[in-house]
Amino acid sequence: MSRGISRRSFVGLTAAAAGAVTVGACSSGKPTADTRLRVAAVNHVWTRALQKRLPEFEERIGRRVSMSLLTGDQLSSSYNVKLNASATDIDVMMVRPLQEQLLFAHNNWLADLSDRAQDAEFNWSDFQAAPKEASTTAGKVLTVPVVTERPVLYYRKDLVPTPPRTLDELQQAAARLTTKGRFGYVGRGQRSGAVTQWSSFLYSYGGDFTREGQSAIATPEAIAAYQYYGDLLGKSGPPGATNMSLEQAMPIFAQGKAAFYVDADAIYTGLIDPKVSAVGETIGYAPFPAGPAGSKPYNIPSWSLGINRFSLLQDHAWEFIRWAAGSETVTALQTAGIPGARESVWANPAANSGFPKELAQAMQVNARNGVGHDRPEVLQVGRARDIVGRPLVSAILQQDVAAVARDADKGFAEFLVRDNRHRES
Amino acid sequence: MRTPSMKALRGLAITVVALFFSLPIVWMFAAAFKTNVQVTDPSIGLIFKPTLDNFKAVIADDRILPSMVNSLIVGVTSTALSAIIAVPAAWAVGRFRMHRAGSLVLVARIVPAISLLVPWYYLFAQAGLVGSYTVLILSHMFVSVPLILWIMIGFFEGLPIELEEAARVDGLTAFGAFRRIALPLAAPGTATAAVLAFVASWNNFMFALILSDEHTMTVPVALFSFISYAGTDWGGLMAASTVMTIPVVVVAVLAQKHLVAGLTAGATKG
Repeated sequence: MSRGISRRSFVGLTAAAAGAVTVGACSSGKPTADTRLRVAAVNHVWTRALQKRLPEFEERIGRRVSMSLLTGDQLSSSYNVKLNASATDIDVMMVRPLQEQLLFAHNNWLADLSDRAQDAEFNWSDFQAAPKEASTTAGKVLTVPVVTERPVLYYRKDLVPTPPRTLDELQQAAARLTTKGRFGYVGRGQRSGAVTQWSSFLYSYGGDFTREGQSAIATPEAIAAYQYYGDLLGKSGPPGATNMSLEQAMPIFAQGKAAFYVDADAIYTGLIDPKVSAVGETIGYAPFPAGPAGSKPYNIPSWSLGINRFSLLQDHAWEFIRWAAGSETVTALQTAGIPGARESVWANPAANSGFPKELAQAMQVNARNGVGHDRPEVLQVGRARDIVGRPLVSAILQQDVAAVARDADKGFAEFLVRDNRHRES
Repeated sequence: MRTPSMKALRGLAITVVALFFSLPIVWMFAAAFKTNVQVTDPSIGLIFKPTLDNFKAVIADDRILPSMVNSLIVGVTSTALSAIIAVPAAWAVGRFRMHRAGSLVLVARIVPAISLLVPWYYLFAQAGLVGSYTVLILSHMFVSVPLILWIMIGFFEGLPIELEEAARVDGLTAFGAFRRIALPLAAPGTATAAVLAFVASWNNFMFALILSDEHTMTVPVALFSFISYAGTDWGGLMAASTVMTIPVVVVAVLAQKHLVAGLTAGATKG
């Protein structure tokens, strides 16, 4: 008897809890004037600089803004959980267009900004072509680029009077400068982490990740690029290079233990900060050296802003993007040393005064030669990077690159078929 | 019979194990007093000119100290509520052989937390609870109730049933026997389980990442303010981690007397 009653009580309690949730659902309705505009952002120097300017925006729209800062991977996990549940507590989303946009577009998580971007004052045509292309999926503008990146050749002026102009010169100089206690070259060598930086070597050898939708990682150009990078890092680089991503490679250069380093221009502040770097004053900057197909570095929007399709404050979210990616803010931030995506700001000498002079020149040359992607343009970018990165690791370990590349090519071809099927589903 | 060579071997084994486990903590503590250049230079070991700048950065960071208060609120409340539910439940499971019910609760520990987050987030968001202490406490209880339950079942099973039977003969109800006899005897076990539950809550990252907001953020999430896109402030991160371990060490030291008794009782059960 008592068991029956307790069961009924249990069912009753469960029903009451479900009811409470339903009532709650009804009560958590439309936003009020006090509802904050929520911006999910990455912990980046751009975000920190923008935070300081937020009061000006809040005053303009009459709504408080709340900004949560996470690392890139956490931000991704957070979107995947929250947007799967149609979250309304994110309004503006900071995304990596080349890593996430195709997937987010496929999941229909990003609001279409095509009409809003036509606003004459916003001047969408002022954005650089390559980042603009990466922000557009299936003809729709889904994000607006706010931070751009290119690779730059960091070198030690006290060791290298004139920076190398070609990849061959770089290899020779790196070999010459490798001594006991100093490496000629340091760079990323980790399977997935190195792919983005290796992409510029690949393009400069005349290759690409795919050609007409098919895998191109076993073409003679790609194999030569794998071989070159493997020899450069394997013979002139530090031991254990295949475990190194940005976090490991950068400190080696910052401690003065390497002569050359190719990585994103966006990290230069970490190399000149005396709290982090022992070589700040001796660092030189050069455009990406030319390979057999010329100098073809990537020029990508590393971070862009989009609007959560489920947001209840989409108009104010667009106002935020309009302000954060507007000419005035981009000029102010670029003057402070944070590279944006607006042509007019790049053409303004005063706006580039925040960068070291040699770096500003290298960035402009790289932007002119730039390719708009630095990783395979697929839905499951992480998996693709793993496949493409395998021959890179073999090359650094001085193994038979051609054989591994052919094997990886088969895997990549199969992956592309699956990825395409997923994209069309 | 202990021979001198056996003693030496034992001493060596203890030293090796102690070094192995303490090395990361020593590294963290040392790095908290180093500049970033010193942290990333492997040639600099334990002899360097210390700096307090990292601790100043932790105090100046507007997220670390408030997040510690949040972690304390969530950790203490979720542990206390879990103990109130799980300790009597463990006694019931142990005494009345309700092991199927106990196994059912264990499912909560088996299911990967990430798979629960989407439905949880959906439900809590609908109820307008995301970003509140309530949701963090409830989610942490999901971890700590099974933890405390399963530690305590063993304890209650190890207590002689004759003590409770004697109490029943003297006129106590079943629950009275639990409250006046079994519960005081199980205090060491309760302390052990509570400390482990508190530590689990203190270190929980995934639930706080999704379910908290900038006002209720707990320490593991706030620590990431030292990791940015262009690099990691290792010194600041290690200083914040050092500060973060202090409350757990204090709790462990305060409960040490009970903990040792509790762990020993668990080990020699039966």
